[in-house]
Amino acid sequence: MTPIVAFRGVGKQFPGVVALEGVSFELMPGECHAICGENGAGKSTLMKLLSGVLTDYEGEILVRGEPVRFRGTRDAEAAGIAIIHQELNLVEQLSAAANIFLGRERRTAVGLLDDAAMEREAATLLAELECPVDPRTPAGSLRVGDQQLLEIAKAVSLASDVLIMDEPTSALTDAEVARLDRVIVRLRGRGVTILYISHKMDEVFRLADRITVLRDGRVVTTVDRSRTTPREITGWMVGRDIASHDFHGSRTPGATVLELRGLTLPWPGHPRGYRLKNVSLELRAGEVLGVAGLMGAGRTELLETIFGAAEPTWSGEILLHGQAVRFAHPAEACAAGIAMVTEDRKRLGLFPDLDVAANVSLCSLNEAVRSGLLSRSREEALVAGPLRETGVKTPGPHAAITGLSGGNQQKCIIGRWLLVKPQILLLDDPTRGIDVGAKAELYTLIDRLCRDGLAVILTSSELPELLTLADRIIVLAEGRLTAEFPRAAATEQKIMEAATGATTHAPA
Amino acid sequence: MNSPGNAGGGWRMPRHELAILAATVAVFVVTGWLDPNHTYFANWAESRDIILRNTALLGIIALGASVVIIAGGIDLSAGSMVAFSATTCALVLTLCAAPDDRRLVTVGPAGIAAAVGAALLSGLLVGTLHTWLITAIRLPPFIATLATLVGLRSFARAMCLFVTKERWGSESQQINVNTPFFAWLKEHNVWIMTGTFLVLAVVTWLILSRTVLGRHLYALGGNEQAARLSGIRTENVKWFAYCFGSLTAALAGIFLMADSSVAQPGTLARGYELNAIAAAVVGGCSLQGGVGTVPGTVLGALFLRLVIDAVSKLIKASADVYEGMIVGIIVALAVTFTQVGRRGQSGHSLFSGARGLAAIPTIAIFTALLATMAAGNVAALQGRTGLFGIGVGGATLLTLAVVRRLESRHAS
Repeated sequence: MTPIVAFRGVGKQFPGVVALEGVSFELMPGECHAICGENGAGKSTLMKLLSGVLTDYEGEILVRGEPVRFRGTRDAEAAGIAIIHQELNLVEQLSAAANIFLGRERRTAVGLLDDAAMEREAATLLAELECPVDPRTPAGSLRVGDQQLLEIAKAVSLASDVLIMDEPTSALTDAEVARLDRVIVRLRGRGVTILYISHKMDEVFRLADRITVLRDGRVVTTVDRSRTTPREITGWMVGRDIASHDFHGSRTPGATVLELRGLTLPWPGHPRGYRLKNVSLELRAGEVLGVAGLMGAGRTELLETIFGAAEPTWSGEILLHGQAVRFAHPAEACAAGIAMVTEDRKRLGLFPDLDVAANVSLCSLNEAVRSGLLSRSREEALVAGPLRETGVKTPGPHAAITGLSGGNQQKCIIGRWLLVKPQILLLDDPTRGIDVGAKAELYTLIDRLCRDGLAVILTSSELPELLTLADRIIVLAEGRLTAEFPRAAATEQKIMEAATGATTHAPA
Repeated sequence: MNSPGNAGGGWRMPRHELAILAATVAVFVVTGWLDPNHTYFANWAESRDIILRNTALLGIIALGASVVIIAGGIDLSAGSMVAFSATTCALVLTLCAAPDDRRLVTVGPAGIAAAVGAALLSGLLVGTLHTWLITAIRLPPFIATLATLVGLRSFARAMCLFVTKERWGSESQQINVNTPFFAWLKEHNVWIMTGTFLVLAVVTWLILSRTVLGRHLYALGGNEQAARLSGIRTENVKWFAYCFGSLTAALAGIFLMADSSVAQPGTLARGYELNAIAAAVVGGCSLQGGVGTVPGTVLGALFLRLVIDAVSKLIKASADVYEGMIVGIIVALAVTFTQVGRRGQSGHSLFSGARGLAAIPTIAIFTALLATMAAGNVAALQGRTGLFGIGVGGATLLTLAVVRRLESRHAS
């Protein structure tokens, strides 16, 4: 059988970096082929080559046995290759139907837009994908999972033979992941070849027929799923065995530093009426409090309210060291010893135009001031500590932050907050989009900080992470606190039940 | 490395600044050589004064515009702010002068200080107003400063009519300023303005690259949400930026009033805001915010004024007619080159498809018309302007057609 796509010695260089080198492997028609690798291993670059986003590379790509050289995504689409990017490409103001047919709008006999036809077709497509949304809904108001299905609907309507999915589950709830799994099975039933990029082993082993592992821009191996184990794959990905994490037993929580009593955050204009309802919790020095919950359960809002970053319309009480506080601005929370690492690193954390040192020193710049002016040497000395402590791999303190991998960027942001010497650290899904190796390092770091007396609230979209790191886990469901477990009593099953139990799921 | 906005405070002369510097020197040398009178070499002092004075005036406003742009905003009101400040200054002088003194020669030092102080204060007031509109009312900066662009000039005119009527009993659209101090300023305008500009540039440079506030300005412009979540009081940083923007315009207003010996709010400094923004952009500021440097803006202003002056030397036309065209072309070219530098050769073609086909004659027609008009000012081409224009237009057409052909061959 001719492979539907074949890579032959493909290489790609960016200024100063070899992103891919001598990559060769084949995709067979109708298979689900997973690409695994740490961030920075070259997965995304490879996919950009195949989908025509990047046009300049060495080696060759064959589609159905024919060498091709795409000059843009349109060429790739014409060849039947579609990509669902990690960051979705939708026009938020346009309707779901308009997005599906963007650039290929159906027209009536007189050349006007035929909205009715597009909406009808879109409804059919979306129904097949178990996506019960009205095609007239603006894409921007859909949930992330539905937006992704919208992109898949677009690819399906293009009659694509090869569908590339770049970490499709990174923003999905478990129910949405299950739905996506079913969609993938159905697409494969039609003979669509799926190229599935992920570093989540459970997904890869659930879905893939074959697995190709990339490391540092090279192919380590391609294996059948049945002949390998997740442990072996992660080993190939990082090039080393990962020590398993179990930090518990010797961590002893101290005094209560933060207490929430009946915290309620209204949500004007939303049918539910609140983002958080009557949430009470306690946080002690030297412990990690895990916050579980599905997308939209109020995890981020909880942290933002504590940090003074939410609308100041909340009611209830926040007690810091026993004193009632109400922060109107994150600056006040910082001054009181609270730090927050935001969920969406690119949008809410990074300063792409500033260098590494400036990104790290930002919150504690006053310490780098000598007689009124910033001192370059003081700033370098200031950031050297956190850069070392968090283990950031950077060419130097004045390198561009955008040149670092996601994990290293995240470490820089954590370093930024460590510099302010907080007593409470709020971590909002800190390992999202970070590779396995960097994750392990972050776990060790969080554990060490805790042992030094820091109080941590950690949210995560991955339950194993909470089970690994947290001393206690609280569960939010639709803004309410539905359960609290000490770690020893918590299981994924129990947490999921509490996270979904309150849900009376109404289709949108 | 990839942006001149890396505010480390050290001496890393970025590529962009070097490129403008090289271009400035090149324009200078080529013009001096091509100009039949070789004015730049033979009679440097005269050109120097014109260029320095105009650069200083533009540069002072451009420094303010840069700070606002780096902070992620935009200030469209600078031209009106110049007029407003000049009017404020002149009106305070009117009030301090003897009641029947319509030339304002009787104002004492206290009156002058009050007038200058009031003009600068008017800048702070307008900056504060902008900040309030933007942070409290949540108007986009473009809208807030568009409103003051239109509103302030009209406000200044109304103020002018009101005060002159109250003071002199008859309304006047303009106020002549013959106060000895301002006459002295005018006499030494080149060195005083250039000196002020350079001092202001050094101060701005220190603020931007060596202070916490400056770093916060870059952070705000680069990622406002992240800046807020990092505990930066973004509203206060904006307050500084807009006040600085208005204050530099107010300062320019005082100089411009002294220079023209008259405050005429209806026409003074019309369109200056766009030239200032253009200088900042040519100097490497990104309208997306977070990127830009003081040396870049200073060189950007110098380059713009030098090219405007050079064109007037070469085709013997009055500079202000061609000014807009030159600024437009330079801005387009400067940003093009910056982007090409960033994007690298990514196979982006200039003239592909029907759009490209339509662009070729469009550019050729504009070039032909421009060449015809330019030829009208060159003695050697008298009587043959049309022929010259058609020749240049035809050559452009051919060249671009060849480029298109090469591109399509390269692509396939």
